[in-house]
Amino acid sequence: MIINKPTVIIYTRDPDEDLLREICAGIEEEGVLYEIHSGKGDMDTLAYEAAKDSMLGSGIGMDGRRIAMQMARLPKGKNVFELNAPRFWQCRNLGSNSARAVKKMPFKPIYTENGEMSL
Amino acid sequence: MKLIAGVDIGNSTTEVCIGSVGEDGSFHFLSSASRITTGTKGTLPNVHGIKAALQEAMDHIRQPLEALDLVRLNEAAPVIGDTAMETITETIITESSMIGHNPSTPAGAGEAAGYLIHLENIWKGKPDVPYIVVASNKFSYEEVAARLNQHIPELDIRGLILQADEAVLVENRLNRQIPIIDEVRHIERVPEEKLAAIEVALPGTGIRMLSNPYGIATLLGLDAEETKAVTPIAKSLIGKRSAVVIRTPNGNIRENVLPAGEINFHGTQEIRVNIDTGADTIMDSLHKAGEIRDIDGQQNTNVGNMLNRIKKSMTDVAAEGDHEARITDILAVDTMAPVEISGSLAGETCMEKAVGIAAMVKTKHLPMQKIAEKLEQELHIKAVVAGVEAVMAALGSLTTPGTRLPLAILDMGGGSTDAAVLGTDGSVRTTHQAGAGELVTMLIQTELGLGSRTTAEQIKKYPMGKVESLFHMRLENGSMQFFEESIDPRYYGHVVLLAPGEMLKVEEDIPMEKILEVRREAKRKVFVRNAVRALEKVAPDHDLRKIPNVVLVGGSAEDFEIPEMLTDALAEYRIVCGRGNIRGTEGPRNAVATGLLMSYLSNK
Repeated sequence: MIINKPTVIIYTRDPDEDLLREICAGIEEEGVLYEIHSGKGDMDTLAYEAAKDSMLGSGIGMDGRRIAMQMARLPKGKNVFELNAPRFWQCRNLGSNSARAVKKMPFKPIYTENGEMSL
Repeated sequence: MKLIAGVDIGNSTTEVCIGSVGEDGSFHFLSSASRITTGTKGTLPNVHGIKAALQEAMDHIRQPLEALDLVRLNEAAPVIGDTAMETITETIITESSMIGHNPSTPAGAGEAAGYLIHLENIWKGKPDVPYIVVASNKFSYEEVAARLNQHIPELDIRGLILQADEAVLVENRLNRQIPIIDEVRHIERVPEEKLAAIEVALPGTGIRMLSNPYGIATLLGLDAEETKAVTPIAKSLIGKRSAVVIRTPNGNIRENVLPAGEINFHGTQEIRVNIDTGADTIMDSLHKAGEIRDIDGQQNTNVGNMLNRIKKSMTDVAAEGDHEARITDILAVDTMAPVEISGSLAGETCMEKAVGIAAMVKTKHLPMQKIAEKLEQELHIKAVVAGVEAVMAALGSLTTPGTRLPLAILDMGGGSTDAAVLGTDGSVRTTHQAGAGELVTMLIQTELGLGSRTTAEQIKKYPMGKVESLFHMRLENGSMQFFEESIDPRYYGHVVLLAPGEMLKVEEDIPMEKILEVRREAKRKVFVRNAVRALEKVAPDHDLRKIPNVVLVGGSAEDFEIPEMLTDALAEYRIVCGRGNIRGTEGPRNAVATGLLMSYLSNK
């Protein structure tokens, strides 16, 4: 696949649309572009391939309600963040973080409750 | 041949040094060791740490502890230091008249003025009135955008204030370009129907209209008198990325001077000084008071409590019947602390003025003799208290290659900065000054607004870097360091401290340049100022130029930048100054223990 836009790439397999929408909102709020494609393989593969194919070196893999964020040159399976059937605010922040990885900003919390917004 | 040990009990570490003395008086240093001091310096629990350190040093030369013939303890300087902080201004917003903060992603750019209206009441809006809409986080970004788009054709909507972090999301769905501010935490406190001005800065710049009194006057239509009243608001908004100013009849922002209490100097002259006059006035008063007998502070102020506290802790360790603990020196330093403005809408902070104070208590002497007796009992080795700490330190420092008499030492510890001058005739002058490492830690903590003292302590001790990718970081001197294994993503984008063997994350989002500036400034304010103050006291005729050598010893002499700062500052007086290197091998440590052994020889 030839990629020539500076985007965060999301590879999905049968994704939960509500969670996906929150991820995209997180990326959008940070002012970064993204694209979504359906792909093959498990979550680790999807995330790994997404990060590899992204010109910005940041990608997300989504398999149903399981989500992983990955960055280029990290080994497959060693995901930066992983969520399983998460809540909306976690997806929002995971999306933000994939954009922040590009902007070289500190990540938002995605596991602990103190980062929770009333979403 | 005899084996002799010198033992130095310091505030934080206990150092020992072992040497052998032949029948002919020949003398050799054999080994040394250092352990953490157990208990408060000068109390019986110290014995435990002394034994451990002696054991370690004897192990180095493969001798049993019993082979020792004599243990020489230092007469520890009977001083304890402590620090306190007193904030002297506070900023209060009345009637919610402004919002000024730095949301990471506001949207749109430019300024606008209009009447505030909550999103749920937007249907009440009248045409031809300019509005700024306020939306709480119970509306999703899609709802906010949809409702605004629905009303944009008939209403004059100029700007938007959001509670959630969704400014860009709303902007992307809006049919009109307007400035949008988000992350306003206490949105329910924003009053309705008032005239307000809103501004979002262009990327990379700060706001321009609302940080200018005439800009506010232009947007809100103020007269000359009202413009004068909003000047403090404009001042507090300088450098912000976004801001709202609300026109309220009595609304204002003002700076209060808090009653911070007074310090009383009992010296040759009795002088009373108010803390809110600032550090320079306090230090001038201290100077004017002449020879200080004691210092106390007003009851129930931070400084008053601190002064009482250290007097009490000193009385607790001092010898029985010796209740005469007196505060003989303080060091005051001006500082700024970021404090949340009371009545703020988005958690705005304002740099408030504060004064940091270090004080030092002195008593007649510590019960060192008891420690010696206890040690003798437990080890069955003769133990004596021999020599005053500062004199021993000066003697030991003389083993640094390249020194000669007269020699000055600066012993920079945690609680106090001590100086001594050893003259060519063997005379010694000493002084103890308040203010050292712990005051630096407190200044760093306050000025950066850090939650924990441990973080401040670590910032003081270790150099920094910023993790820029999962494979490299930029160090504080600009160079890059690369890693083969990826760095834990928790560190990504953060400033980290490079402690030996591990990286420590600074949780607060503060730029590395800012931390660097605060760290260096705090060290300079305390150590350079104190070094000059202390050396002036002990120098012949109080003239710094009459001291040719200054050797830096003690814990803070091991710091990675303080010795260089002092070398630089004292070069002005043509003084050779640098970190000590005891016996050419020990660095700035072990000066007192070494001095104790050397004094044994000269006594014989």
